[in-house]
Amino acid sequence: MRVKVLFFGATADEAGTNEAEIELNRPSTSESAFEAILAKFPALTTNRKPEDLLFAVNQEYVAGGESIAEDDVLAVFTAVSGG
Amino acid sequence: MNFEITNEPLDVGEIARRVVPEECGATVTLDGYVRRFTKGRETKHLVYEAYEPMALKEMEKLADAAKEKFEISSVGIVHRLGKLEIGETSVVIAVSAPHRRAAFEACEWLIKELKRTVPIWKKEVYADGEVWVEGERDGNAGVPPA
Repeated sequence: MRVKVLFFGATADEAGTNEAEIELNRPSTSESAFEAILAKFPALTTNRKPEDLLFAVNQEYVAGGESIAEDDVLAVFTAVSGG
Repeated sequence: MNFEITNEPLDVGEIARRVVPEECGATVTLDGYVRRFTKGRETKHLVYEAYEPMALKEMEKLADAAKEKFEISSVGIVHRLGKLEIGETSVVIAVSAPHRRAAFEACEWLIKELKRTVPIWKKEVYADGEVWVEGERDGNAGVPPA
């Protein structure tokens, strides 16, 4: 199944795009989806650990174990720095 | 509109007046603006970017949580995006309350939480380079790790 992945700020620079589509196995969880994204965009973890990234599914931070469905919108970004 | 993300300059007074119900006696307003020196390094300007729909949702969640936690009536949060020069306002938080103490406390809590949970990022542009600032993950309980 295909899902959309969004990147912002540093992760957009590293992924080379603000938005990508990736193919995931069915079923997928937030954990396996996150791993698939890191595998496809290794630059995201060149200078940081995976746990330094934040991950959202359909505009909500993941709590872990979420099921991912076709057409979900995922987002991977660094710890926020607004204000 | 109590929660807003905009590319336009922010008018602090106007935003403060959005949250003035009759039962209130005080509004505390934070005017966050661009600092020239951070840890001794000179900033030329900042560029802000947001995951806009999620950021608006997170702002609303923060306001709801603040209303649970403090004796306040109303919250307004507006963040600017794009290129900001030194001294320009990047964020305004306005909190109204029947009595001022709760408004001061809630305003401090809200900016602290905003910097931790609302998906907005700043890029520091220096004379000799630029870098996307990554927030502190330490003490980030409540923001689930990826």
